[in-house]
Amino acid sequence: MQPMLPLAVLAPFAAAAAVLLVGRRAPRAHGVLVLIAAVASFIALARIPAGDAVPHFTLPWMPAIDVAFALRGDPFGLFLALLVAGVGAFVALYAIPYMQVEDPVAQRRFFAALAAFMGSMLGIALADDLILLFVFWELTSITSFLLIGFRFADDRAKAGAVLALQVTALGGLAMSVGFLLVGQVTGTFSLSAIAGDRELVARLLASPLAAPALVLVLLGAFTKSAQVPFHFWLPRAMVAPTPVSAYLHAATMVKAGVFLLARMLPLFEGSPLWAPLLTTVGTATMTYGAWRAFRETDLKAILAYTTASTLGLITLLYGLEAPDQDALQILSHALYKGALFLVVGIVEHRVHTRDIRQLGGLARELPWAFAACILGALSMAGIPPLLGFLAKESFYSELLLNPAIGPLLARGVVLTAAVAANALLAAVAARLVVAIFLGPPSAVVASHLGAAARHRDVPPLWISPLALGSGALALGLLGLTTFTDELAAGASSRARARLHLSLVPALGLPLYLTLVTLVLATVVYWKRDRFVALQHQLTFGPSADAHWESMVALVGRIGDAFSARWQNGSLRWYLTLILVAVPALAGYALVTLGLSYRAISGSLADMPWYGFLLCVLLAVATLTAVRATTRLQAAIATTTIGFVVSMLFVVYRSPDILLTQILIETVSTIFVLLVLIFLPPFPRHDLSRSGRMVNAAIAAVFSFAITVLMLLSMTPGLREPDNISTRPGGLLSLSLAEGGGANAVNVIIVDIRAMDTNGEITVLVVVGLCIYGLLRTRREAT
Amino acid sequence: MTQQSPILRVIARFALPLTMLVAIRIFFQGHDLPGGGFIAGVLLAAAGATYLLAFGVTRAARFRWWKVSVVGLLISVGNGVVPLLRGEAYMDNHFIDAGPIHLPTATFFDLGVMLIVVGTLMTIFVELSLERR
Repeated sequence: MQPMLPLAVLAPFAAAAAVLLVGRRAPRAHGVLVLIAAVASFIALARIPAGDAVPHFTLPWMPAIDVAFALRGDPFGLFLALLVAGVGAFVALYAIPYMQVEDPVAQRRFFAALAAFMGSMLGIALADDLILLFVFWELTSITSFLLIGFRFADDRAKAGAVLALQVTALGGLAMSVGFLLVGQVTGTFSLSAIAGDRELVARLLASPLAAPALVLVLLGAFTKSAQVPFHFWLPRAMVAPTPVSAYLHAATMVKAGVFLLARMLPLFEGSPLWAPLLTTVGTATMTYGAWRAFRETDLKAILAYTTASTLGLITLLYGLEAPDQDALQILSHALYKGALFLVVGIVEHRVHTRDIRQLGGLARELPWAFAACILGALSMAGIPPLLGFLAKESFYSELLLNPAIGPLLARGVVLTAAVAANALLAAVAARLVVAIFLGPPSAVVASHLGAAARHRDVPPLWISPLALGSGALALGLLGLTTFTDELAAGASSRARARLHLSLVPALGLPLYLTLVTLVLATVVYWKRDRFVALQHQLTFGPSADAHWESMVALVGRIGDAFSARWQNGSLRWYLTLILVAVPALAGYALVTLGLSYRAISGSLADMPWYGFLLCVLLAVATLTAVRATTRLQAAIATTTIGFVVSMLFVVYRSPDILLTQILIETVSTIFVLLVLIFLPPFPRHDLSRSGRMVNAAIAAVFSFAITVLMLLSMTPGLREPDNISTRPGGLLSLSLAEGGGANAVNVIIVDIRAMDTNGEITVLVVVGLCIYGLLRTRREAT
Repeated sequence: MTQQSPILRVIARFALPLTMLVAIRIFFQGHDLPGGGFIAGVLLAAAGATYLLAFGVTRAARFRWWKVSVVGLLISVGNGVVPLLRGEAYMDNHFIDAGPIHLPTATFFDLGVMLIVVGTLMTIFVELSLERR
């Protein structure tokens, strides 16, 4: 048991609670608390001693269904967790000055959600139980919804947040079903138990449920990692504050999807669907993301599409069953993309626009941001000596040498796509640096330059992006030694992964491909205006989010049509449905049980004379109710029916029901009297003759069915089902033995079936509150 | 409902305390004899309705009845959570033995049920009486 694992996961949640508790009195403390939690988690994880034994922590959670609060720190999980905590610390440090302009209440909301997100993400990285993983997964969806919709007064923020939640939560639900299928087949939810057992994996793959389970889990991964065709939520999520975009939508949350692929690889790599699905989706996303990124004009949208592109690249690697370099790719991307996003935030803070066409000449004004941007862009373009270069070299050699790609044609397609995507990314990188920072200041920039810089008393914004960019540089330079190689290989999701990273490139095909990429990038950048025009010519058809929105609208229309037909507000229609359904279902049950009304053995011999008198009264009251001409008449008649029925319980000596019935009748009479004056005139004769005949027939069938059912329930053989008997184990015997009460009905309500009652009373309270709220607000409005 | 009948008022004066006593009796006998939290709650609500009719809705509306039902829900759920904290199942029943008192903890659950029934019914009565055409 390694207590550092749960401590690391819980620290950010504790920080979130602390931020909410500290309240609006100490707005400065919010960001600092999150920063402390991130650093604490990082230290806790880093202090876990390396050894042969994988650190783990298990608490029983739902032992009856073999679900545990199980955390496990394998190298890849620890790597992602350290990345989440480390980048989280830098993002918190950046967000403190960045969010300072917001009002304290909004800041509190922001930092609490950010901390909760960090905890959920650490949970995903370290969870060893599929159900626990799902819980943390959904928590990231919810916290990211809160963070994207941070400026909820803005309609675009609201729409972006809802879209992201719809797509990722739908994927999460699909994934949970996939997990349940996996658990059903293997008999356990423990990831390490399944992956470590060849027999279980073989059983999973041989099962007919393997294909559906795989597809469902992949839906979760693809939606979270913004893979084609679910890529569209990511650019729309860029309405979030920039620290959120950098943290969630570049460095961490979108990585959860590919992380899940790594977790699923040992389970499903033998599946015939795995490689085709992942390579296709990965290649498509990689290419499409880079293609779209070049066309966009909003800086954050550009970065969002390049993120999707890199995630596609990682998906492709998993599809090729070559996870050795996954940690390298994830780390490289997190460092440079985090830096670039944070630089965009600085630019937006300074000149209040993100439109790349309106920027220019900021290098003198923001020198440190310029430096960070250069580092990030060089790494993105894959130029030595940055980490991005090592990542790209390694990717090319994998594509050239991987035996899983198959025929020459497939290798050619994938290689072409990879070179094209990387060339576009390099061109985008060049475009970012030049368009934002170089040249003379644009008109928009110049209009803002006069204003004095704010935030003199807080840490400057450029620390975090420069630190991340320098990280990319440092790790790249360490490629001269074996350090980077050992780090990336050791953190990989494959045990004993082999990489051959070196900053000194060996002459060979990978290097030539890099040169081709850079030449292509130069050409694209040189002819950028014509290239963008060409892109616009090649765009056709509605976009993916338009498709999604029409699907969502379709769901709404189906719901509308359904309720218009079945819930039309007519009480008579509802009653008809109930009165038809009850005899039909009861009749079906009786027929399948082989019972008919002939089995009824009751007799009227023990009925006293006043019992008959009551029945006559009942008939008179019922006829009065039917023939009533005003609502008051009908109300009095039905009340009479209720009281006469309760008198019948005297005849049959059941004081329990008698008491209840009388009180309920009293209370409902008061109800009826209170609402009577609000009701419209009594519509008696609005039905045609045939309509009335149909209603009469329904009423007759219903009352016949109920009569038969009640009489049958008194028949021997049906009267005493096992679970209510006085025999041991029956409810009546349980009542005295465990509840200590002789009134079995009450003991059942408050003790044996207390969970049911618990639900019912909750509904009752909610109903009361709703009535209070509805009537009050309506009265106070008029 | 501004003019209440004096007869109703006099009857209500006598009937109200009696009804409450009966309700308490019915509540506690529910374990072994007909009765229990639900019935006691409905009885109390009927008493409350009598009060409302006799003395006017403005006096009855001075009290926020929904609070009673919320308190009731807290008692009921709290009664279920206590065994949970002791490492047992939610809603597990126990017996409290202190001298002459022999009480199953389910009684507290039942008390919650009673308060919820009173609170919800009275909320509805009061709110409906406050409605104007």
